Order: sequence, then structure tokens, then C-alpha cells
Amino acid sequence: MVVALKQEETQSLAENTVNLAMKKGADEAEVFVYQGITSEIVIKRGQISRSARIIDQGLGIRAIVNKAVGFSYTNTLRGKTAIKEVVLKTLTFARASKPDEEWRDLPTKKPFASVEGTYDKDIVELPSEDLVKTASMMLDAAEKTDKRAFPIEGGAGASYLSMAIANSNGVEGFDHGTIVECSLATIAREGGEVTPVCFEFNAERSYNIDPEWVGREAARLAVSALKAKKTETKNTSVIFTPVALQQLLYFTLINAVKADHVQRGQSAFKGRIGEKVASENVTICDDGLLKGGLRTWRFDGEGVPQQKTPVIERGILRNFIYDNYTAKREGKNSTGNASRAGYVSTPKVEATNFRFTPGRKTPEELLGEVKEGLLVYYLQGAHSSNPASGDFSVVATPAWKIKNGEIAYATKGTMLAGNVFSVLKNVSALANNERKIGQLVSPWIRVEDVKVVGR
Amino acid sequence: MKDILAKAVKTAAQEFGAEYAEVRAQRLFKTMLTLKDGRVEAAKQGIENGAALRVLVNGAWGFASVGTLDAGALTKYILDACKMAEAASSKLKTPIKLVETTAVEDKVFLKPKKDPSKISIEDKINTTSALNDTVLGYDERVKSCTIDYLDLAGTNYFMNNEGAYIEQEKLYVWSRVTATAKEAGVFTFSREEVGSTAGYEVFDVETPEIVGERTAKRAVEQLKAKPTKGGVFPVVIGPNVVGVFVHEAFGHLAEADLTLSGSVLADKLGKTIASDIVTFYDDGTIEGAFGSFRYDDEGVTTQKTVLVKDGVVVGLMHNRETAQKFNAKPTGNARAEDFRFEPIIRMRNTFMEPKDHSFEELVEDVKFGYYLKSFRGGQANLDGTFQVGIQEAYEIVKGELGAPARDVSISGNTLETLLKVDAVGKDFELWPGRCGKGQTAFICDGGPHIKVREVLVGGGA
Repeated sequence: MVVALKQEETQSLAENTVNLAMKKGADEAEVFVYQGITSEIVIKRGQISRSARIIDQGLGIRAIVNKAVGFSYTNTLRGKTAIKEVVLKTLTFARASKPDEEWRDLPTKKPFASVEGTYDKDIVELPSEDLVKTASMMLDAAEKTDKRAFPIEGGAGASYLSMAIANSNGVEGFDHGTIVECSLATIAREGGEVTPVCFEFNAERSYNIDPEWVGREAARLAVSALKAKKTETKNTSVIFTPVALQQLLYFTLINAVKADHVQRGQSAFKGRIGEKVASENVTICDDGLLKGGLRTWRFDGEGVPQQKTPVIERGILRNFIYDNYTAKREGKNSTGNASRAGYVSTPKVEATNFRFTPGRKTPEELLGEVKEGLLVYYLQGAHSSNPASGDFSVVATPAWKIKNGEIAYATKGTMLAGNVFSVLKNVSALANNERKIGQLVSPWIRVEDVKVVGR
Repeated sequence: MKDILAKAVKTAAQEFGAEYAEVRAQRLFKTMLTLKDGRVEAAKQGIENGAALRVLVNGAWGFASVGTLDAGALTKYILDACKMAEAASSKLKTPIKLVETTAVEDKVFLKPKKDPSKISIEDKINTTSALNDTVLGYDERVKSCTIDYLDLAGTNYFMNNEGAYIEQEKLYVWSRVTATAKEAGVFTFSREEVGSTAGYEVFDVETPEIVGERTAKRAVEQLKAKPTKGGVFPVVIGPNVVGVFVHEAFGHLAEADLTLSGSVLADKLGKTIASDIVTFYDDGTIEGAFGSFRYDDEGVTTQKTVLVKDGVVVGLMHNRETAQKFNAKPTGNARAEDFRFEPIIRMRNTFMEPKDHSFEELVEDVKFGYYLKSFRGGQANLDGTFQVGIQEAYEIVKGELGAPARDVSISGNTLETLLKVDAVGKDFELWPGRCGKGQTAFICDGGPHIKVREVLVGGGA
């Protein structure tokens, strides 16, 4: 990969643009410069047939005039007139907008924490041929595992990201990092039966992924989803894998601990700090500094140092997560949870690495203790949960019936119904097989007394 | 612009020897607003200029996206795409080929009655604020209201090495409003979307008052809703939910790339999969609809594609690659969110054709069941399982609409469910939405009211 914008260039672009905005009449200004370069080798229908290189860079400006916020972005960074025009437009928008009486000010400078395992030069310098090799190893491993498995899509990718921030309160910073990943979605076919899509992946910040495991596991899952049977309706134990948990929690629990949701009365956790909201087996931290975490950075989207924030400790709700705006409304400090979608968006409250403290049991032990239950890898329709109440009604697919501590058979058409906050209270054990998926870091988690709707 | 594109295309095709080369350049302007409980979080705008460069080398695709329209950069990165394609082709078993298509030369200009780029940001803030005031002013139990607004204007420039050159203006106006209500520990949630490719005049029909009341009323009515009984019941499904069912549960399976990946429709072309009263279309030609356009992102003219006719699968949605595989004609379904993405097969305006029943006739013989009026979200898997979450539903008791039901969702197997469609209504509505398939596409879906004799209803706890 060719890194187009160097550190000094990015930082001075951010600082100069802040100065320009102030000169043109902003009360406060903040500039975020982002660069993302991604190389991908793509598998479609059993073969490597595509490649892609995406180079995206730009800057976003937030300018405040009389407590009203204007924001503009552009991906044209060359040429002084282009930037000047964007600055002027931002100010026009701020002046046209409505003042926000709750607005205090932009963050002030605080020392950034140091982070580990977020940048790997080997990923930046990775030739396309190595990505072809990674994808190919994964594909071969899937094919060798079982003839009935058919890899429908997947691939290998490497990314370099960099960001610089500056604001008129003296905040300035630069950080960069890498991500490498491979993934494979597989189905299995036998007779007239087609399994649901079974998906495996491995994403890391350092060049240390295991494509053969991903390929083998995606194929194994798909084949074991064959000969699916319908289940009956009853309350049983359910073991959620991290992918299923991520789907279940993304719109519900994670939203419920965001300060903006709490302040606006959209969270079931409002006014409940210090109360027991989950089983004592549950301890969750939002850890923006997790070593090698997929969302670990020195600072957040507003230049506030990322940090480790206890959210739930042994079942007790301890903290919500804040950005600058929501924190200042309560006279608190931001927890470094302002997130941006590159340069195109204003910051919003988002979890960093939302980590369940893992347990000591192996996944086999977790399974072995279940007399009757369900092992759920993936949920369909989790985004249609009620985000305010936490009520969900979702399809578990693929999912396997557990009987007397062993996987008995794959299930089909099985729904899970309940409330995510009741689920948290019924967590009976966590395994030791922690994984990173998006913002969630979690092992397998076993929950008792979940309503399984069959037919 | 034409010269810049031509130079890049020529570099790939003639100098490198790519079998196919295309450049898709874009200039885009966006205006965005987010209002939270009436507070304008920020008045936002964006400028994006960029190009997507795509080549076929030794039967493998190479793609590069760059945020510039500089001739030198485009030439450099199309060569980069060629080299990456060459690397990727080393493991290729079946080379990719494209179906032949007419090389179109055309310029498409839009004539909105109200061009959003000529409407001031103050006006847009006033419209969204009026929407907010309607929602929060509807009832004191409405606790929060979030509004997102987006308008996008710009031009696409498309050229390939087969002689196509298309300049096409783009225009989208979109807004989403969500409201929550709370009473006695019960939380409810309601969402509405507005979307158009016609212009800002969409707010003359979907006025802030109409959309705001629809959103708030639902959130409040759901407060007194009954928990849903889980089990298998007859249902009457409204156009908004029929649309999402046609899109999610059936439509994705009929996207030819997913059909090839082994969707349950793989061996169903020409076969009956639904009752004979079921006909589905995917139509890119409906004027002003959110999923309409003249040419797709491979330069193919859009069309009205019939997918299911009287219960029989008669067509799929194609790009040039899948059309070649199926020995079919391309249908104009290749769409890319913007220059950062490769065009892939996407739906446009997907709907079920109306028939002859009135709403009363659909409901009258249902002893106990549900009326599903508005959806919250939906999802499907290649094996044909689907799930659709419902944000507004009512019980049907002895042929009449009863109490509202909370957090209903339906699921099942698409093909089994389509065979259980007993009756199709004579009304018709089309609703705007957004669809995710690794990238976002603006779409519509819809249809009439229908009756399904049994479906698995999942209730709350």
C-alpha cells in the first residue's frame, strides 16, 4: 500500500484548517482528517475472482457559532481554495442553524494513553500476492474439510487507517493503525437440502491470522447444519456465541449504556447506576485501550483520550459511556467514546471494545453442563428488536440442539423470544474462549430459561 | 471529464490489455441534518469527488476507488487495479465473462419541481423542526424524537471500453423519523421514512404533519398493546409489510449472484413456488420512486423485470456477469452506493401485483390471527428462512380488527409461506427504504394487502 498522506501533512492540515476557521469567525472549531487504505482479495462462489483497492481520505470540520454547530466534509484536500470554501460553508451552516443552549465547549487537551498492538508495519507493506495466498489457504482448508461445503463468499483484506485531530482548545493528535482480516461464508448442500449461511472470520490488528482455521471451521459449521430438524416450544438453556451476542446486544444493551440514550429517556438503565441489572457472573468494561483491540486508539473522534470504563461489575451497573457533549451536560468527563465514520460524520457516542470478562470453563464444559438447550451461532432479525424495551423475537439460525451435554442435531425455523435485560440476569456461565467481533469482545455465554419457539 | 475517463479506459484496455475496463466518476453534494428532540445536532454538508475504476484481466476483476478526478491519478490506479486483478487471477478456475450489451451514449438531466440544492438550509431546518414538533406535541407520553435528513445531488459519469458514455444526474431526498414513548415502565418505538428521486416536493405530500402524526400515534397506541401469543396463525399483511416480505424473503433470493451462491431459488426457474395469485416485479422505471434510475452502474438501461408470474419463477435480477452465466439479458440491477463501491446486484422498486379482494374480505373469515400493518426490520437467509419484525400489528378476532399487539415478528420458510397466500387485495402502496448488502441502496417496496393462511408468529416473552 502506498500511504498517501504522511503524519506531518495530516497534522498540519488539521491545525491550519482550525486556524482558518477561527480567523473567519468561528467561536470554536475542530478538524478531523482521516485516511483509509484497504486492499482486498475476494472469493465469490468457490473461487478467488476479485480484487479491490479503496483509497479514501478527507477532512471534516465542526465549527461553532453562537452555540450552533455546523459541519462540513470534503475529500478534496489539495488546493487552498477548496479547503477555504469548505470552511466558509461550515460557518454559513453554523450561522443558519439553531443555537443549542446545552452546548458547552469542545474538549480541552489531556494526555493520551499509550496503546499496544494496534499498528503492524508488515500489514502496511503486505503485497497483494500474500493476500491471494491467505485467501487461497482458507479456501483450500474449507474444501478439504468436506465436499458438501460450498464457500459462497469471503476473502482476505488489509487496511491502514490514520487520523489527525486539532481543535481551537489546543487538542492535537495523530494516530494510525492496521487491521488484517479473513472471512468465509459457507453453505452445505446435500440431497435437496441447503443449510443457512455459516460464517467464520478472524480479524486482528497485527499480521497474525489463521486462515486455515477460518476455512476449516466455516466448512465444519455448514456441514453440521445439515439434517436440520424442527424443535418444540419450551424454555431452555441457550449458549450464545460471540457473533450471536453481538447481534443481540448491538441495538439493545450497548445502546442502553450510551449517555445520549440515557439522557433522552430511551434507556431502560436510566437512573439505575448502582443497581443490580445482570447476574453476578456478568462483568463488562468498555475498554478503549485493550491490547490489539479492533477499536483501540489513543484518542476518540473528538481528541479525548480513550480509556477503560467499568460498565457492569458482577451484575451491578457502574457507568454509562459519554462523549464530550453528553458528559458536559452532566458536569462529567467524557469517557472517550465519541466515534466517527471516517471524515464524513460528526462524532457520536459509541462503544469501543465492549468486553465481557471471560470465565474459566472451556466451551466443552459450558456445553457439557446443559441437559437440554440450544447452541446459537447467528441470529436473524436482531435489528428488529425493540431498542428501548430490549424485547426481541428473532430466528436462531444456524443453531444446534443440545441434549445431555452434547450437540444432538441442527435445528431449523427456531425463534428466540424474550427481553435482553432478562437475558443478562439469567447468565449462568461464561466460557474462556474470548473473541473479538466488531466492538464486542466476548466468549460463549450461557443463559438459562430462554423461550425457544419451535413449531 | 469525457477525456479524463477515456484516457484511463484506454490505458487499461490498450496498454495493459484488460478484456474490459470502465470508469465511473462522481461529483456529489450532500446536505444532512440530525435533530434530537428538536435540537439541531449539526447542520451538515459534504462534498465528494471520486472515481471507481474496474477492469477484467485474465477473467478476474480488479477494482480501485480513489477520491479524486485527476487524470494522472485515474490512470495510475486503473493500472494498479489491472495488476491486482492479474494477481487474483492466478488461482482462477472459471474466468468471468460479461454478457453483450448495447453501448449507450446519453445524457440524463433531472427536472425537479423543487430542487433541494436550491432550498436554503433554514427551510430544511424548518421542515424537520415542524416534523419534530408534530411528534413531540402529539402526546405527553412521547418521550423522544430523532430525525435524520439527507439530500444528495450530483452527476455520474460512466465510460467503458465498449463505447458507452453516460452522464446522469442523481437526486435523492430522504428523511427518517423515530419516536419513543413510555408509560408505566413500557417502552415503545416507532419509525417512518420518506424518500424520493423526484425532489423536495415529496414533503408537499408527505408533510411534516402527516408523517409526524403517523409516527407518534403508533408509538402511543403501542403502549396499550397486548403481548403477542407465539404460535402458528392466519395473518393479513398490509402493503408496507408485504413490501418488505417481497424484498427480504423473496427478492434477495432472486438476485442472481445469490441464486448462483445456492439460494433456494437455484433450481426453481420455470417452476411454481407460490399460489397462482402471486406476481412479483422489480421495477426501476417508476417516476420519482426512491429505487428508480435510467441507467445502472454498468451502463445498462433500467427496466420493469417480472420475477414471479402467477406463482411461477420467470426471471432473476442480473448484472452483466450473472446474465452471461444464465444466458439471460442483463436487467439493469447493477448498482453501487458511490465510487467507493463496486456495482453489485441490487433491487430497485420491488412489489407484489394487486388483485381483487377488499380489506374486509381478507379479514372476514379469520377467527383469531394478526393484522401486520408496518414493519420494523426484516432479514432472510439463502436457505429461504426469513424473519420480519413488525412495529404495528393488531389482533384479528372473529373477522374484525382487535387490540394492538406489541413486538410481533413472523418467520418461516419463504417458499412454504408463498404457497399459503390465500388472497390478494386490490389496493396498492409503495414505501421507500434502504437496503444493506455490504453497501446501502435506496429502494422502494410494496404491494396490496394479502392474506396468508398460516405463518409462525413469535411474540414477546
